[in-house]
Amino acid sequence: MAKYVVTGTNVTLNGEDLSSNCARAELVISAAEVDTTDFGSGGFTEVIGGLKSGQISLDFHSDFGAGAVSRTFQDLVGTIGTVTLIAGNGTAASAETPEYTSEVLINSFTPVSGAVGDLSTFSVTFPTSGEISYSTGV
Amino acid sequence: MVDITTVRQKIAENIGTITGLRTSAELIDNPSPPIALVALDSVDYHNDFGNGVVLSFSVSVIVGRSAERTMQRKLDAYISPEGAQSVKAGIESNRSLDGTVDDLVCPGVSNVGSITINDQTYLAAEFQITVYA
Repeated sequence: MAKYVVTGTNVTLNGEDLSSNCARAELVISAAEVDTTDFGSGGFTEVIGGLKSGQISLDFHSDFGAGAVSRTFQDLVGTIGTVTLIAGNGTAASAETPEYTSEVLINSFTPVSGAVGDLSTFSVTFPTSGEISYSTGV
Repeated sequence: MVDITTVRQKIAENIGTITGLRTSAELIDNPSPPIALVALDSVDYHNDFGNGVVLSFSVSVIVGRSAERTMQRKLDAYISPEGAQSVKAGIESNRSLDGTVDDLVCPGVSNVGSITINDQTYLAAEFQITVYA
C-alpha cells in the first residue's frame, strides 16, 4: 500500500456502524514514561516504557433519526463500549487495512451543538480501557 | 447515494408552492419571467466516512423588466425571509426533500439587480442553497 488520503475510516460502536455520520477518527496509543535516571546517567534523564494507555477521538454529524448516532450515544454516557476502527479506507481487516478494537469509557456526549446556519456536529474523546487489539484479518 | 437530478427537481417543487412563480429544475435558454431556475454550483465530496456530500445550488429568480416599480416590489416579496411569496421559505418548506437528503438551508441571497437575457434587461436575484446528503 502507498500513502493514502483518508476517505473512509470504518467506525463502529457496540457493533453499530457509525461511519456515515463520522468525519474524523483518531486513535492514540501511548506508554507512560518511567524515570530511571541515576548517578550513572551522565547528566541526562533516562526513561523506560511503563503502562500503556489509549485515547479515541471522533467527530460526528448529529442525527436523531431512528438508530442514528445521536440516539446511539444518548444512553451510553458512563458505560463501557466497544469501538472498532478500520484504517486505510478499508471495510474489512487486512494487512493494509488493519482493524483496531478497544473498550472505551464513554465519559461524555454533546447532544446539542452548533451555531445558526452550521451543520450540527459533535466531538467525543474517550479513554480506552484494557488492551487495544490489532487485527489484520488473518 | 444522492441523485442530483432528483434534488434539483425537489428544490423546484418546493419553490413551486409560491403562487405565480414558474420554476425550472434546469437552466433554460428563453426563460419566461417570473421564473426560478435551479442550478448546481459545486459539490464537496467526502463530507463523512460514508461518502456524504455537500451540494451548493443557486436559484436565479427572474421577475421582469427592471425599470418597472411593480417588479421591484415583487422581487422584494420574493426576497423576504417569510411570507407566502418568500422564496427562502419555499425552498426550506420541505428541508429533507421528501427524504432525498439529510437537510438543506438557504443561507442568503446575492446578485440582486439587473441581468440581460436576449437583449432584454430583467430584475433578478440569486438564492444560495446548501444541501447535506
